[in-house]
Amino acid sequence: MSSVNDHPTGDPKIVLVGNPNVGKSVLFNALTGAYTTVSNYPGTSVEVSRGNCEIRGKRYQVLDTPGMYSLLPITEEERVAREILFTENAHAVIHVIDARNLERMLPMTLQLVEAGLPVILVVNIMDEAERIGMTIDCSLLQEKLGLPVIGAAMARKRGLKEIRDALADFDHRRRALFGYAVDLEQDILKVASTLHGTYPLDRRSLALLLLQKDEEVAEMVRQIEGERFAEVETAVKEVIFERRVDLHLRISLERKRVCKGLLDGVIAQLEGQGVPFSERLSAWTVNPWTGFPILLLVLYFGLYQFVGHFGAGTVVDLLEGKLFEKYLNPWAIALGQHYVPWVWLRELLVGEYGIFTLAVRYAVAIILPIVGTFFFAFSIIEDTGYFPRLAMLVDRIFKKIGLNGRAVIPMVLGFGCDTMATMVTRTLETVRERVIATILLALAIPCSAQLGVILALLSGVPGALAVWTVSLLVIFLIIGFLAARIVPGERPMFYMEIPPLRLPQARNVLVKTMTRMQWYFIEIIPLFILASVLLWAGKMTGAMQWLIGVLDPVMRAIGLPSRTAAVFVLGFFRRDFGAAGLYDMQAKGLLTPVQLTVAAVTLTLFVPCIAQFLMMKKERGWRVSLAIFVFVTALAFSTGWALDRFLLFSGMMS
Amino acid sequence: MKCGFCGREIPDEIPENHESCGLCPGGCRKVHCPHCGYANPLVPRFLRRWAKKNDSKKED
Repeated sequence: MSSVNDHPTGDPKIVLVGNPNVGKSVLFNALTGAYTTVSNYPGTSVEVSRGNCEIRGKRYQVLDTPGMYSLLPITEEERVAREILFTENAHAVIHVIDARNLERMLPMTLQLVEAGLPVILVVNIMDEAERIGMTIDCSLLQEKLGLPVIGAAMARKRGLKEIRDALADFDHRRRALFGYAVDLEQDILKVASTLHGTYPLDRRSLALLLLQKDEEVAEMVRQIEGERFAEVETAVKEVIFERRVDLHLRISLERKRVCKGLLDGVIAQLEGQGVPFSERLSAWTVNPWTGFPILLLVLYFGLYQFVGHFGAGTVVDLLEGKLFEKYLNPWAIALGQHYVPWVWLRELLVGEYGIFTLAVRYAVAIILPIVGTFFFAFSIIEDTGYFPRLAMLVDRIFKKIGLNGRAVIPMVLGFGCDTMATMVTRTLETVRERVIATILLALAIPCSAQLGVILALLSGVPGALAVWTVSLLVIFLIIGFLAARIVPGERPMFYMEIPPLRLPQARNVLVKTMTRMQWYFIEIIPLFILASVLLWAGKMTGAMQWLIGVLDPVMRAIGLPSRTAAVFVLGFFRRDFGAAGLYDMQAKGLLTPVQLTVAAVTLTLFVPCIAQFLMMKKERGWRVSLAIFVFVTALAFSTGWALDRFLLFSGMMS
Repeated sequence: MKCGFCGREIPDEIPENHESCGLCPGGCRKVHCPHCGYANPLVPRFLRRWAKKNDSKKED
């Protein structure tokens, strides 16, 4: 490990650490004043600020580290911050935390203390915490932690004098020890007792990092222990094998438990002010009794009303029904007939599957308003911090289908784009989870554009949307439930820190919506044009008619007109292209309510688009992806057939 | 930039060796959060300055 030594001084060092955006830099500026230097940490592009300060006549060097969430690094910034902690031999490490998020940030204080670092805890942003009615007993926390704890509001320089006094009087020989569960303590001891070298951090902390498979620390131990490393490695492997649980999760949960005990009696809510509304709402969103009604409200107003009615109804009517159908298409067709004498070229540009009359119209007039409104609603929900709460809410249900709350990430992303979501399944912990999530994404999660068009289509037919929703939900749960029992593998636990619930910021929402729309538009226009060229070629050569002829018996079996075959072919090219084709057929009055519902369910379940299939192949390999392809196709048409029979015999939608 | 899912800070600099799936025409426009894996949209250049104004209000 290298060290920050382009500014060598013999002055004792003060290192500032903490999560991003907790006020470290404000404290750094308050301590050091104007004369500071900023340089890249050796061998990285990460900036580290250094300055000096004088307290009671003694000079100190102050280092402001990049934001870090844990002593177990993930990003380069965290790696650099940890390296500074390990190599700088600090006189004091000031851990700055946000008073409003004490419970979330205190586990890192524990890690720093465990590492044997001389920690001073600064509970910053106290003014904001008090504004929302929180009181924090810093003296009690200091007593429990056994280290100096100072309440501060650095933006107002509140607490600066106390920090300077604490630095001058600091004696880090006193330190508390936090005990974990007996079995974990035994594991820590087993690994720690194999470490004999001299380390920059405590053996207990080293053992914990080794058990969490920290490769950098393992390498450091290998170099220091030399031949004795085999003994360390064996001890770590034995613990991991014996426990057969995710030790990272186990240790995080233990730290969480210890922090809860430490904070008992430390945080209080002022009388009369009660718990802030945002926190009560946050608690409601993860409680199953209130969380599911809230989820239904979000889906009803966010998707059904805003995307389904406004985006796919009002805006599409305006663009497709009025602008394209009345003005642009007739004008383009007239131009084609007047200036293009060759039938093949006229067909290619303004024919049934023409680049302008089909590709541009679908992309601009049908898909864009729908995905635009979808992305807007999605960005608002995302910016409030609702998604991690949704993950906690569905964790229990997802466990029944072989997944856990972490799988909400690919599932939520699947409602944007299933191809990208399939790639994100690699973030799931086990192969079993990845396979189950890939199947469910391919089967029952419609992408944003397909969802929007289907919502628009079905919301005009009484009962159709309810039948579609129930069908997909039942298929999703049954297949997930069966897959959980058939696919072998481990069942991991789920734990995540939940960020605060907040009001969405207009600028954030607009930037995210515009970014996603730009990405979508760049992606779909060339593909829609390519699809329309292929369809045109199919029509001109008769291949399209042949394909429709091949699929005709299948269409008849599930009660759909022959022309729907083209929709399914389009759907394989792109999911939304197929849905737009269905929209077109419905607009022309070619489908009954039963046919429309059956077609929508079958098309949603039908094989993923070609891009998603390629991604499945890339992530899961040929064998698994082909098996999923065949299974999904068979299940989609079987469900379509069963639904058609059920709706006809029950007379539900006749 | 903050992750839209876990709320943690995503480093501004994207590592040179970052892997993309290669399926999006015109290159990758997403950044996966190193902490949770969520795919965040990469803000296009023409919106970057506008988006940055938000960041300048932060404490740190």
